[in-house]
Amino acid sequence: MTAGARRRRLVRLPQYGALVLYMLFLAFPLLWMLSTSLKSSSELVSVTPSLLPSSPKWSNYSTVLREQGLTRSAWNSLRVSLASTVLVILVGLPAAYALARFRSRLRTAALGWILVSQVFPLILVVIPLFLLLKQLHLFNTLPGLVAVYLVWSLPFALWMLQGYVASVPVELEEAAAIDGAGRLRTLSNVVLPLLLPGLVATAMFTFISAWNEFFFALVLIQSPERATLSLTLARFLGAEGQVQLGPLAAGSLLATVPSLVFFAFLQRRLTSGLLAGAVKG
Amino acid sequence: MLPALLPILLFSAIPLVRGLTLAFTDSRAGFNVPTHFVGVDNFSRLLDNTLFWSSFRIGLIWAFSVTALQFVLGLGLALLLNQPLRLRWLARTLSLVPWAMPPVIVAIMWRIMLDPSVGPISTTLQRLGLTDSPTNWLGDFSTALPAVIVVGVWAGMPQTTITLLAGLQAVPESLHEAAALDGAGSWQRFRHVTWPALRTVVAAITSLDFIWNFNSFGLVYVLTAGGPGGKTMLPMLFAYNEAFRYGEFGYAAAMGDVMVVLIVALLLFYLRSRLRSAT
Amino acid sequence: MKTRKFAAAAALAVAATALSACGSSDSGDANGTITLKFQSLAFQQPTVAASKKIVADWNAAHPKVQVQYIQGSWDSVHDQLVTQFQGGSAPDIIHDESADIAGFAKQGFLADLTPQISSQVKSSIPDGVWQTVSGDGKIYAGPTLLQSYVVFVNTDLLQQAGVALPGGPTLSWDAFQTMAKQLTKPKQYGLGWGLKSPTATVLNLGLNFDGKFFYTEGDKTTVKVDAGEQEVPRRIHDMIYTDKSIDPTSVTQSGGDVLPGFYAGKYAMTVQGSYAAQQIVADAKPSFHWAVLPILAGTSAHQAANPQTLSVSAQSKHVTEAAQFVDFFLSADNLAAVAQGDWLIPTSSAAQAAVAAKTGGKDGWTATLATGAQLTEAPFQQVDNYPKWKDQVATPTLQQYFANKIDLATLGTKLTDGWNQVGG
Repeated sequence: MTAGARRRRLVRLPQYGALVLYMLFLAFPLLWMLSTSLKSSSELVSVTPSLLPSSPKWSNYSTVLREQGLTRSAWNSLRVSLASTVLVILVGLPAAYALARFRSRLRTAALGWILVSQVFPLILVVIPLFLLLKQLHLFNTLPGLVAVYLVWSLPFALWMLQGYVASVPVELEEAAAIDGAGRLRTLSNVVLPLLLPGLVATAMFTFISAWNEFFFALVLIQSPERATLSLTLARFLGAEGQVQLGPLAAGSLLATVPSLVFFAFLQRRLTSGLLAGAVKG
Repeated sequence: MLPALLPILLFSAIPLVRGLTLAFTDSRAGFNVPTHFVGVDNFSRLLDNTLFWSSFRIGLIWAFSVTALQFVLGLGLALLLNQPLRLRWLARTLSLVPWAMPPVIVAIMWRIMLDPSVGPISTTLQRLGLTDSPTNWLGDFSTALPAVIVVGVWAGMPQTTITLLAGLQAVPESLHEAAALDGAGSWQRFRHVTWPALRTVVAAITSLDFIWNFNSFGLVYVLTAGGPGGKTMLPMLFAYNEAFRYGEFGYAAAMGDVMVVLIVALLLFYLRSRLRSAT
Repeated sequence: MKTRKFAAAAALAVAATALSACGSSDSGDANGTITLKFQSLAFQQPTVAASKKIVADWNAAHPKVQVQYIQGSWDSVHDQLVTQFQGGSAPDIIHDESADIAGFAKQGFLADLTPQISSQVKSSIPDGVWQTVSGDGKIYAGPTLLQSYVVFVNTDLLQQAGVALPGGPTLSWDAFQTMAKQLTKPKQYGLGWGLKSPTATVLNLGLNFDGKFFYTEGDKTTVKVDAGEQEVPRRIHDMIYTDKSIDPTSVTQSGGDVLPGFYAGKYAMTVQGSYAAQQIVADAKPSFHWAVLPILAGTSAHQAANPQTLSVSAQSKHVTEAAQFVDFFLSADNLAAVAQGDWLIPTSSAAQAAVAAKTGGKDGWTATLATGAQLTEAPFQQVDNYPKWKDQVATPTLQQYFANKIDLATLGTKLTDGWNQVGG
């Protein structure tokens, strides 16, 4: 073995070690929650807990699914997230195209607004939104929440989308134009296919942001039957009373499944998407 | 462009401006309570509010600590993920796990983990003989903020890691090879090849992280609700309580305004670093 | 082809928004039937079942006035009500507690229930309890369940230490402290007390020594921390640091979180709300033997009556019907069923008798019901700004005191000064 190869071998060992430590840190809490979701309530009060449940209590999952409030909240979250995502893409795509292709005063203002709205403390926006939605009779309604999510997700989606559009060489469009294609044809036949991966990434990102959102829902949704999943789970845990931890853990895991699936699928694409956004900007 | 403008104006720009100005009124909750303009009254009240400044200080400590730790740990992980190690795909997927979980669930999960009676951390430490009596990490005055910071770092690592990884991968392999040919060791390569290329990405992600962390709400709300004794009361939590527990809308808006000033100052720093990279 | 995809996407968007719009319309008053929303905060299974049964019974007897059961949570009910009243979306029938609901009553959000409260219900509940839910000559809430703080003891550990189970109607604080010391040995504490939320406990038990904390003269209310008020905090502090009979970790936990240690024998006793008996029965192993000690007493055995309440929102479109439901809920058998489920004391004597009959006094019921007579009105329940003082001043300060960060004198000054700061 060459000296270089041997040196690399020696370096690999601590690298694997470090990687394992990282993985433990990142994955252990999730494993623990999985274990909790399979334990009975009397096992959960034991002061000598173990990672493996003594006998897996799968009924925790059926309990929580039967728990009407939770499935209804999941349905609410799904509708709100889907609606917001679709609207964000529909509204954002043309805007992102304009942002990426046309240089104008509006572009700088838009980019400025994107940055500003990213960093504004939500408390400032939520009180007027609360009062505004009340006036529009959209307070405590899911469409009202969708409207808020649309506006709140738009900046980051625009940021991502315009990065993707910018990465499509403008020469392609010009070439198509020379070939006699109209603007709309160019856009749909040339640009859109190239944009598709980025579009998918942005859509999934927006969906998960809406799915996970808590603060706006906390203030703007007051009826339990309209609550989103995060809200219902947060209220499950609390009080001086004992909460059924087993079913709660089961419910929490189930709530994470959509995002986990998307992220596993996305993990390759996400790298390139963020690269476009954060660096090229 | 135009269809995007209308909802933006209605639901983003106008509320933003109204939120800023609400601080100059005595708006509060109640049945048909009228609102009056009160000038800077709320702000002078705020000056004496030791609890607010305490939460502001805690917010800064929290934001700095979480951002710094996120960066260091994230960079380490990104460097590892950039190496041709086996099972890299598994590691990459796992490192995204915290991002996929709603902050509420992250908090629930860690509350279970950190429970002094039935949580695994306490019992493992006791079994290893490292401590005699269990510590209530989230309830003890001296450990609450550090514990919450650890959870914050856990939750925020994916964004930082992935962004840094993307930055690392953007460094052309050819540059590394050239440096290696010139006899540079890995540390020197990092300093002279990787770091300069990474600098703008680092500036971008750490500034954004800091701002996001300072404005954090959901995680700590469910973890500790700001306790014990206000030791983990982040400014957003404090303002939320003021507005929606005690119904003091104008006062809460004043707090928001103060937070905005800080954020704007940081934003200027961020913009300057971005503009510098654009030239 | 791509334009078709675009159109499809647009249609999907419209459908999605439509989907989210429908199904969220108000369950209104279709075809003459009135639907009332009843938000209940019950969380223990038997109580939830009992409450739902009451709703079902009402719905069967009143086909034109249907009540819908909605689950709420104690932790968020206050914030929820603030936003709901502001937004006009509060439920018709609201479940809360008297100390919390008083503020909303003063803001004019609650309807007067006097006309719909039947005379049986009115006479069955003591005046002292009615006072906790009345103001300005109006009754703004129906008091349902009372809770007292009781001491649970592991009788096996008691036997091991050779300590006799105390009899008698009350247990003096001195005797309690002695017991705790006797039950403390290596690896076992005499007492585990979850004081993460200490304010309610301290203010409540303060009445044992006549410590009222809030004194009103005319329209000015002040906070005073004199000898009476200092007794309970001081004794607890002594138990933690001088006697070392309270597990210091338990002091930072919430009441419910302390129970696992109690089952595991880490502490021989625990102070809990009486409702904890429900969890002990459900979660502890059958080999775990326990009892409820006689009620704690200082110069008296009084504790603050902070009943759970059912109120009607003034913004409700059907105040009369909602108030009638409240009266129905307060009838002896219904109230008894809910109280039994929650291990709480029903406010009306008729319901108390019903519970005693049904349970035969087992599982600590006799001692628990006996504490009911000791519950009386306390000043802190009617005070404006109490929630803010509790959150921002009392709770952190008491936590600091029990963590030994400040001394008794400082505790007193901080509590009184904090009241002025909060604008009380």
